[in-house]
Amino acid sequence: MTQSDILLTEAPGPAAPPVRRRRRRPLAAIPYVIIGVYVLAAAIGPFLIDYDPVATEVTERLLPPGSATGSGTAWLGTDAVGRDVLAQVVYGARTSFIIGIAVVTVCCLIGVALGAIAGYSGGLPDAVVSRTIDILMAFPGILLAIVIAGLLERGMHVVIIALSVGGWVGFARLSRSITMSTRERDWVDAARIMGVSKPATLKRHIVPFLAGSVVALATIELASAVLSEAALSFLGLGLPPHIVSWGQAIAGGREHLSTAWWITVFPGIALTILVICIGLVGDRLTRRFTRKRD
Amino acid sequence: MTIRTRRSLAAAAGAVALLIGAAACSSDDPASETGGSEAAGGDLTVAGPIPIENLDPHGAASLDAGTQLAARAIFSQLVVSNGPGEFEGELAESWEPNADASVWTFTLREGVEFSDGTPVASADVVASFDRVLAGEGPLAGNFGGYTAAAPDESTVVFTSPTPDAAFLGKVSSFFVTPQAAANEGFFQDPIGSGPFVVESFEPGATLQLAPNPGYWDGEPALDSLEFQSIPEVAARMTALQTGEVDVTWAMPDDQIAQLRSDSNITVENVASPAVFTMWMNSSTPALQDSAVRQALWQAVDFESIIGSLYPETGTPADSPISPAVLGYAPQEPVEYDPEAAKAALDAAGFDYENTVIRWQFSQANFRNFVDAVVSDLAEIGVTVEPMEKEQAVFLEDLLALNWDMNLQQLGTQGFDAATNLGRLYTCAANRMGYCNEELDQILAEAGSTSDTAQREDLYAQASEIIWNDAVGMYPMFVEQPYAWRTSVEGFQPVPDGVPYFDEVTVSGD
Repeated sequence: MTQSDILLTEAPGPAAPPVRRRRRRPLAAIPYVIIGVYVLAAAIGPFLIDYDPVATEVTERLLPPGSATGSGTAWLGTDAVGRDVLAQVVYGARTSFIIGIAVVTVCCLIGVALGAIAGYSGGLPDAVVSRTIDILMAFPGILLAIVIAGLLERGMHVVIIALSVGGWVGFARLSRSITMSTRERDWVDAARIMGVSKPATLKRHIVPFLAGSVVALATIELASAVLSEAALSFLGLGLPPHIVSWGQAIAGGREHLSTAWWITVFPGIALTILVICIGLVGDRLTRRFTRKRD
Repeated sequence: MTIRTRRSLAAAAGAVALLIGAAACSSDDPASETGGSEAAGGDLTVAGPIPIENLDPHGAASLDAGTQLAARAIFSQLVVSNGPGEFEGELAESWEPNADASVWTFTLREGVEFSDGTPVASADVVASFDRVLAGEGPLAGNFGGYTAAAPDESTVVFTSPTPDAAFLGKVSSFFVTPQAAANEGFFQDPIGSGPFVVESFEPGATLQLAPNPGYWDGEPALDSLEFQSIPEVAARMTALQTGEVDVTWAMPDDQIAQLRSDSNITVENVASPAVFTMWMNSSTPALQDSAVRQALWQAVDFESIIGSLYPETGTPADSPISPAVLGYAPQEPVEYDPEAAKAALDAAGFDYENTVIRWQFSQANFRNFVDAVVSDLAEIGVTVEPMEKEQAVFLEDLLALNWDMNLQQLGTQGFDAATNLGRLYTCAANRMGYCNEELDQILAEAGSTSDTAQREDLYAQASEIIWNDAVGMYPMFVEQPYAWRTSVEGFQPVPDGVPYFDEVTVSGD
């Protein structure tokens, strides 16, 4: 794989055009740029914009975008208790990223570990993991998350747990199937014959081949984790009120949709664009790694 | 770990109910086709602000607005209160207190039957009353020490160990059920003597009623009456505007202006006995000291909160009970002064770091108010955690004192302070962990005299103690807004937010 990469990029003359053509499409970079902007906003936005989710200013409620308030200009308007919508969008981005990345990391670690072990060992471990996957797949992920978040006290960790419980299944299935085919390759046989231990074989000779596909899947899972978090918050489950999230902001504006659309619309747009961009990147990664593996 | 009922499911159920209701409710009822000038019946769909969780008017939900609403359609009271000190006989034809108002004799109306055809007898009244007492629900707090007896078929005698002049006000939220109410499962398909009978009931979602042909005051003209629960305010307003729902009330102020601009809808506000009541749990160590409670009250700028959030229906309160209630006495308003509040908390040794005040409420329309109050308290360093609970959980926790601060829009049954101050603030009731023997004495005395002027004076003293001890914060008097479609005729808005529908008709236009 690595060698073919080098060959492709270094190939001069006639071999170059397909690669160049891909790079010449400036539109292709847009999702990356947008995600970059979000990451930047989530990372440094909270340092630039001061916002306290508990503090309200009822006399400045439901102001349209661009109105002057006591503490500056509300560029995206204010909500039903006078909180700045722009600040909610920025702080919500941070919450979404923290939860999304945490969920994907947890799912990824659990899923890849279980999937690789199941796929490599076969037999009882495989049966146990596969049946667990089957059971979890029988439930819609969001339903499981709602049940778990509904039963436990609110908190960010609860949301992460609730979304991870069903989220690792995808990683496990992917890792298991790739492991099962990689296990039959010559270099794995060679390692086995040389007496390399099982864990070492897994780590050295199999897991590296999972990386590409797992990254592609992780990107798609990130989008769905962000979306699920917003759904939970929208339903009033999971996050406590003092943590800003897009889902809560959208839910808070429902009553005022006809008069104060900006409360719902701006967090909604922020969420939509982010999820679409992550999805586009994920699709591209999937295409690339699936093709290469074949 | 707390197991909470999931609001989302209720919301989903509500949405489903809405869809079903939309399909079932025919706003184009056949009466209009015939073009008759006589408004004949029609199907009325009503969506109140509080879901009906329980049809049992005797138990833990007995004073819950949803249960009261259903009970007024299905069951009958002995007397109905029409305003401060005004009563009208329902099941009771006449009533008579003895000299010191400790023995009340009611004569039942002749010929009133339950919907299964059995006559309403004095034994049913006594059985219902005993059931209320045995249930120890919020209503039972009105009737401490009472006994009921039935000397003959049509006479009921209520005897109190102490004189109780406010008995009529209290008994106006008491509903008579058949003796079978004690049986398991009775309230799945209850039998009553009210204007309507239950067709089907889904707790928290829909209550489908049909007129009771044997109703003593004449069968209601409506063909059917349906109570729906639409938890989402925006959805409720849309349902009203599209005609899926014919009557609603307790709309948020933000929506009233929009409804006013719709020519198909009539909007009317009526003064109500309701007061925004924020009890502070005096049995919580942090809130034991009345100086702390006063300071917390002082720290909230209720005037601007009310002015911004409730421009249509709110006025700053100056008493724990509303001016529409017998026994109202204005108190010295609490001035907003965060510095003084902070100083008082410091002086009382309030532990800012480790105190989290759990503030429970159950209605989504309180959210903005709650957020605003939480913000003001956070400003002086007090942490309040708002907890929005499902109505049933809220009620259970309320009685169990499983909260530090509570928010309710508290009405006064029968427009008499006895059912509010007299019922809730005694040591025995223990509804907010507050116990003051002096207050107990005043309330007992007020309950035992039949002289109205003296009672007013005593309730004024009680109000003063409650107000100055800051048993709770009393920020706002509430006007009750109603909205109904112009096709609805004969609808009477009532001050307490629990309307009757037996004289309503819907003309299909």
